[in-house]
Order: sequence, then structure tokens, then C-alpha cells
Amino acid sequence: MPDTSNTLKIHTFTCAWCGLTATRFAADGAMRNHCPSCLASRHVTDHVEGGPSDCEGRMSPIAIAVLRTGDWMLIHRCVRCDELTSNPVCADDNQLILMRMAVRPLAQPPFPLEALGSL
Amino acid sequence: MPRRTRRHEHRGQRRKDVLHERDGHRANDFRCVGCRLDVSVHAPGTAHRNHCPQCLASLHVDRRLPGDRASPCRGRMEALAVFTRPDGEWMIVHQCLSCGELSSNRIAGDDNALALMRLALRPLQDTGRASRTMINL
Repeated sequence: MPDTSNTLKIHTFTCAWCGLTATRFAADGAMRNHCPSCLASRHVTDHVEGGPSDCEGRMSPIAIAVLRTGDWMLIHRCVRCDELTSNPVCADDNQLILMRMAVRPLAQPPFPLEALGSL
Repeated sequence: MPRRTRRHEHRGQRRKDVLHERDGHRANDFRCVGCRLDVSVHAPGTAHRNHCPQCLASLHVDRRLPGDRASPCRGRMEALAVFTRPDGEWMIVHQCLSCGELSSNRIAGDDNALALMRLALRPLQDTGRASRTMINL
């Protein structure tokens, strides 16, 4: 059995959307599952049944959820089978896309915001 | 004084028409698990209401497809986030409190505007986080 202690241990993956090669682990050691540039992910885990998924579709970021601790979570949706997942935001994620997703609903409110002033 | 002698044999209960049993007058109406509000499924603006218009809570009954009622979980689902579809419709993301499953649903016309607005503003609530993001841009 070959000694593997000397081999390269930096795992990388290629983004399914923009083709960027990203490292599997962020600088602070956190596991990364989405591209830091375009925030796209890949559908590899089946969250309804558990275990690996055979979909392998691209997952696009759709929303930002906030935990009780104040941390941001990124919600992805698979473009093939519409499944939803949530993942913690990494420190080096693209802040422009994060902020755009956070304020996107406020740009298109479904009701007139003036009505909230009279409450 | 209680009667000791029994005049008649014990008679079974009279059969009643239970209206809410199957396809009755409120087969699809539901009562909210969060605020106990009686909610009709007939909502303005949507044909698939699954959450309470007052507190936006839902129940984990569907497994993969909307309306399949195949999930054994039956946990309470809280509104987690709001996002916008490309056509500008707001959608609510629910998360099951007992198993962590996520699902999304369109908002209805009579959903509580204040609750929706609080949900949409939640990422910007923590001003430290938001301003750090803006500075990093």
C-alpha cells in the first residue's frame, strides 16, 4: 500500500456554472459546497430521503435566510428537480450577489409600502 | 336520586353525518398550528395555499410533490426566508422544525404584510453584518 501522507491534500472542484476551480475547504477551514464567485452549487445530496442523490443538477442560489445567531444561510434550488438546500455562507463568498439577493424582494414589493406607514 | 332500574337496553349512538370527515364542508380547510386561526384554502391570488395568512406557519405534510400528503413527519414549518421569482412574485421558504426539510410556496393576497416585511428585512436587521458586506463590495 503506497504511503499517501505526502500527496497533495487540497481538494478542488469545478463550478458547474462559471467553471471556476475552487478549493473544497475555505481559508478558515470550513467545508465549502458552492462556488465563491457565482455561488452556484451541485445537487449531490438527497435531503428528502437522505444519502447521495443521482440528480447531479446545478443548484442556483435563490434566497438568504438568517439563523437565530445572526449568521446568514444561503438557500439553493436545484434547477433540474427543484429541491431546496441551505448552507452557511463562507467568508470569501461574492458579497455583491449576497447583497443583491438580500435586497431583491424589497425592490419588487407585492403590496404598496406606504400602507405600512399607517400601522 | 339516581334511577336504579334500567328501562331499556343500552342503545348505540345514533349515526351522524360527520361533515368534516371526508369531502365534507371543510375537507381542505385547516387550522393553523401556530396561532389556531381557522384558514380556508380559498385564497385570493393563489390556488395552493399551504400556510396561515396571519403567522405564515405551515405543516409538513407533503414529501416531494406539492399536495401528495405523503410525509410522515407532520412537523410544524416556520417561515425562514423570502425570495423573488424572475417574474417578481414573492415566495416564502418554509423549514420544518422537526426534520429540517425546506419547501417553498407563493404568497397569497391576504398574507400578513407586516409579517412578510419582517421576513424580507431579516438579512438587513443585523446592521454590522450588512454594513460589512457593503464595505467589502
